[in-house]
Amino acid sequence: MAAPPPSAAPLPPRPAGVGGWLASRWELVALVLLAAAPLCIPALGGALGGQVTTLFIYCILALALNVMVGYTGLVHLGIASFFGIGAYCLAILTVPMYPFRIGFLPAAVVAVLVTAGTGLALGAPTLRLRGDYLAIVTLGFGEVAKVTLRNLEQITGGMKGLNPVPPPGAGVTVAGLDLGKAFAIDPRWFYYLSLLSLAGVVLAMRRLETSRLGRALVAVREDELAAQAMGISATRVKLSAFAMSSAVAGLAGCLYAASLSTTADPNAYDFNRSIMVLCAVILGGLGSIPGTILGVAILVGFDTVLAPWADSWIQQMNINPSGSSALSFSGWRLAIFGLALVFVMRYRPEGLIPSRRLAAELHEEGP
Amino acid sequence: MFFLQQCLIGLTNGALVALVALGYTMVYGIIGLINFAHGDLIMLGACLALTLVGALGIAAGGGAATWAGVAALVLLCGLFCGGLNVAVDRIVYKPLRNAPKLAPLVSAIGVSFIFMNAGLFWLGPADRSFPDLVPSTNLLAHDGLQFTLKDLLVVLVVVPLMVGLSLLVRTTRLGKAMRAVSQDPVAAALVGVDVDRVIAATFFIGGFLGGAASVIYGLYINTIGFQMGFQNGLYAFTAAVLGGIGSIPGAVLGGLVIGLVRALSSAYVGERWTGAIVFAILIVILVFRPEGLLGRRTREKV
Amino acid sequence: MSPPEAAAAGRSRYGGPVAGAMGRFYDSRMPFPASCRRRALFLAALVAAWGLPGCRPADPDLVKIVSSLPRTGSAKHQSDTLVRGIRMAIEEAGGRVGPYRVEYLDLDDSTAAAGQWTSEAEAANARRALQDPDVCAYIGTFNSGAAKVSMPILNLGDLLMVSPANTAVGLTKPGLGMPGEPEVYRPTGRRNYTRVVPADDLQGPMAADWAARRNKKRVYILDDNEVYGKGIADLFEERCRELGIEVLGHDSIDAKAQEFKSLMASIKAAGPDLVYFGGTTQSKGGQLAKDMAAAGIGADLMVPDGCLEQVFIDSAGAANLEERCYVTFGGLPPERLEGKGGEFVARYRDRYGEFPEAYAVYGYEAARVALHAIATAGVKDRRAITDAALAIRDFDGALGHWGFDDNGDTTLRTLTVNVVRGGRFELFEILDGATLADAPDPAPVAPAPDAPPSS
Repeated sequence: MAAPPPSAAPLPPRPAGVGGWLASRWELVALVLLAAAPLCIPALGGALGGQVTTLFIYCILALALNVMVGYTGLVHLGIASFFGIGAYCLAILTVPMYPFRIGFLPAAVVAVLVTAGTGLALGAPTLRLRGDYLAIVTLGFGEVAKVTLRNLEQITGGMKGLNPVPPPGAGVTVAGLDLGKAFAIDPRWFYYLSLLSLAGVVLAMRRLETSRLGRALVAVREDELAAQAMGISATRVKLSAFAMSSAVAGLAGCLYAASLSTTADPNAYDFNRSIMVLCAVILGGLGSIPGTILGVAILVGFDTVLAPWADSWIQQMNINPSGSSALSFSGWRLAIFGLALVFVMRYRPEGLIPSRRLAAELHEEGP
Repeated sequence: MFFLQQCLIGLTNGALVALVALGYTMVYGIIGLINFAHGDLIMLGACLALTLVGALGIAAGGGAATWAGVAALVLLCGLFCGGLNVAVDRIVYKPLRNAPKLAPLVSAIGVSFIFMNAGLFWLGPADRSFPDLVPSTNLLAHDGLQFTLKDLLVVLVVVPLMVGLSLLVRTTRLGKAMRAVSQDPVAAALVGVDVDRVIAATFFIGGFLGGAASVIYGLYINTIGFQMGFQNGLYAFTAAVLGGIGSIPGAVLGGLVIGLVRALSSAYVGERWTGAIVFAILIVILVFRPEGLLGRRTREKV
Repeated sequence: MSPPEAAAAGRSRYGGPVAGAMGRFYDSRMPFPASCRRRALFLAALVAAWGLPGCRPADPDLVKIVSSLPRTGSAKHQSDTLVRGIRMAIEEAGGRVGPYRVEYLDLDDSTAAAGQWTSEAEAANARRALQDPDVCAYIGTFNSGAAKVSMPILNLGDLLMVSPANTAVGLTKPGLGMPGEPEVYRPTGRRNYTRVVPADDLQGPMAADWAARRNKKRVYILDDNEVYGKGIADLFEERCRELGIEVLGHDSIDAKAQEFKSLMASIKAAGPDLVYFGGTTQSKGGQLAKDMAAAGIGADLMVPDGCLEQVFIDSAGAANLEERCYVTFGGLPPERLEGKGGEFVARYRDRYGEFPEAYAVYGYEAARVALHAIATAGVKDRRAITDAALAIRDFDGALGHWGFDDNGDTTLRTLTVNVVRGGRFELFEILDGATLADAPDPAPVAPAPDAPPSS
């Protein structure tokens, strides 16, 4: 390529002092805290550990979507299908029903390559589409993928899904420890595996943000024509976004299938899930890594951690002996969820932790 | 004959989809928002319709009384949904007019969840049967071909509403203002158009059509449930985009195409592939016509 | 918890990758003066803490029974009745079993976002139960698909699982499900799963036998593409072919679709004399019946027990089912239950003011099995409790006298066919599963039951 991509609006300097140091190194601080957490909080060795693992996996998925929606500005409503394709690829390569039965790592590599390829296959013919037309094509792709996964029963097991997906290290014994069994019994193994993957993805995203390609993504988002005039090939940039986003979503799918020990049924990868992840990205702040992670923590955490906890708390307090749905938390879950979305958008329309670049632009253009 | 039957079914279903799609396309045309709550608004309309059927004591087979009851239902549910839509716009979307484009989208999803919870308390968790007020009498004197009174009802309600809407947008002062706002709200405000009122009117009309659709839905499909909004919205939204979002004839055409594709793929490929075929065709059409069937580069919105 | 030596090995094994990744992370971001020392400290802490027990100590006087059922979304109605049945069983035991106080936890395996059960909620419930040392029995799941998620997890801890509603054959019966089933659900090789409801290998084929006896020659088969519905429809189809009934078509519907008018036009053109739908009320059983009637199809409709609830009739419209819809069910309907079952029905009506749905008694029975197993084992030891449950051979329960076979399946082989009459289900015929293998011969038609109180 010829000229270097134009850098968008200059970024405001970060605040100085301890707070600034923490803010600029938040991912390091968070990583250390999260890595230490299972050692200090015994509950993470229990069901909570599994729930937090799920959160990490959704964080990876949301970061994948962020490449498309946040950096490149392409609205994607079918991210869950790539999540699912990754999960199914991993399962096909590892479950006992198929002859492959290769290990987790090589299977995950293949799965990521396959999802990246699928992303390219979807991206290539739809590059001309703009805005909401692209959104609906990705939505349609998600539906097609779901129905296909469901109907190709000989390959995908239909609604039964493919299971059991063996845990990473199944059959590998290191110093008398059966790794597969350790993964299956103690959720902390998956906790660390997914935390490690998340850290890797965050690091990769940080690198991407400051790389030539990353700046090209933003340039295309801001003004495709201007970017092309500066010698950026919008086609290549968009295709890269498709491929990267799909690959990372596929990685999340691999972790998901392995941690559940099943692909779950194709409905787990439907439009609802795509929308949920999209909400998390927007709620947290488009193009912002900490925002995306916070968005997932709030939205998915609400459903997988808080709601079950609140329901069992209500039961234990014996507030609702007759089991009426108006008094149970699950009776109000949808409304609370919806209100949270509405309120956050009302008071922080640019997201909870907006990306610095976006925030700067909003201030410039603001009334 | 079989083919003809499937086409009839497809077109009738498509008319219903189109009626819902109009609500999407109008709101999109004027403020560029994909109103994800529209399907659930229709669900609430159907809840009200069911409650009203009981409260007003509308019974089947009452001849003129039944028809008057149905008309009252359409009117009341239309007013309810229209009013609710305007209220939601004022409370939720209006403060977000200058926010980033995707913020109102998330709000709309939030509103759809709130509506669903309301529907859950209104209807209960299970599907409910909607009374069969209009009989399925076959109007064609042919055993292999069915076009029932119910199907006719759909057409009788949908076609006048669409024609009326087109006339409204094309000929009236309000319609002119709507077109102006959709092209450039700032310029419209400069020449004296009350943008907020025009937007409110758009939301009201879209909601009213949704309310009418909810009654027709109840009478035609005969089952309502608190989760019905999702599938409804999905197909209608797809229809709106397929036709060229923002274009009124486009939404109608998109709805009819989707209805036809669904019926024919169910008949000739298999019910299990219907969902995939509808969306696969959508993708193919958009690849070759990136602005939808009737959309234009310089979109004539609303 | 892993045994000590495993934990020790885990430490050494784990040190490597974590340290490596952390190192890269640090180096790439910045120079960090004390990084080495902190890293060492951190690793030391990691090593020291890995062996910490992941859960709090058990309460010696308490046993917990948990259930994992879809409490949000469209299956809520059925799970409500199940939970009522479970609560009643525990209340009747006075909230105690042997020397222990019983606590019941009603877990939800669905999420608001999905509106139905999800794999991760089910897996989280299973892990939660497994990690809580007080939990001695796990009642669930409702959906067979969910059982496939939680079975391998609970199996690792030998935690007793009693399902009140799973009917997919592959969960327990070797050779009938997918290859590798059911061993894949038992990573330890031991068994821990039981169910109090007969599996589909009885219900599907017996429905076909019944259809043959009723002189049905041409059937059209539909299913909802779910584990349960598709499984039973496939078994039905297989048996139909064996019996020489012509299968005109077999299609799957989308449980989220709104109407099936064009499908019904196709069925009408095929001209069957019976339509079989493998599915549930939640997967649009009612809508199918409605559209079938509207399309003017005169054939009978046959559905499995997933539709045996009043809501099915309400959602289909009684007139559309009247005298033409037949529902199979594994066991006797509530109004025909005698002995303990009859008492249960009476108490349920007193307590909740309505007649129990068919599934309530299965929730009740599942909870009683769990209580019985805990009492028999006499100790708070999961393996002992599970073994006590699997050893049940003659259980004097609300469903009659029954036991578990070696697979953990109930020995009950009584099936009933119910017909919709006057807007509710009425017993039509009692079938005995023992006759399944034989050539079809007419079973005695049961006398009309005493009119059950309408709900």
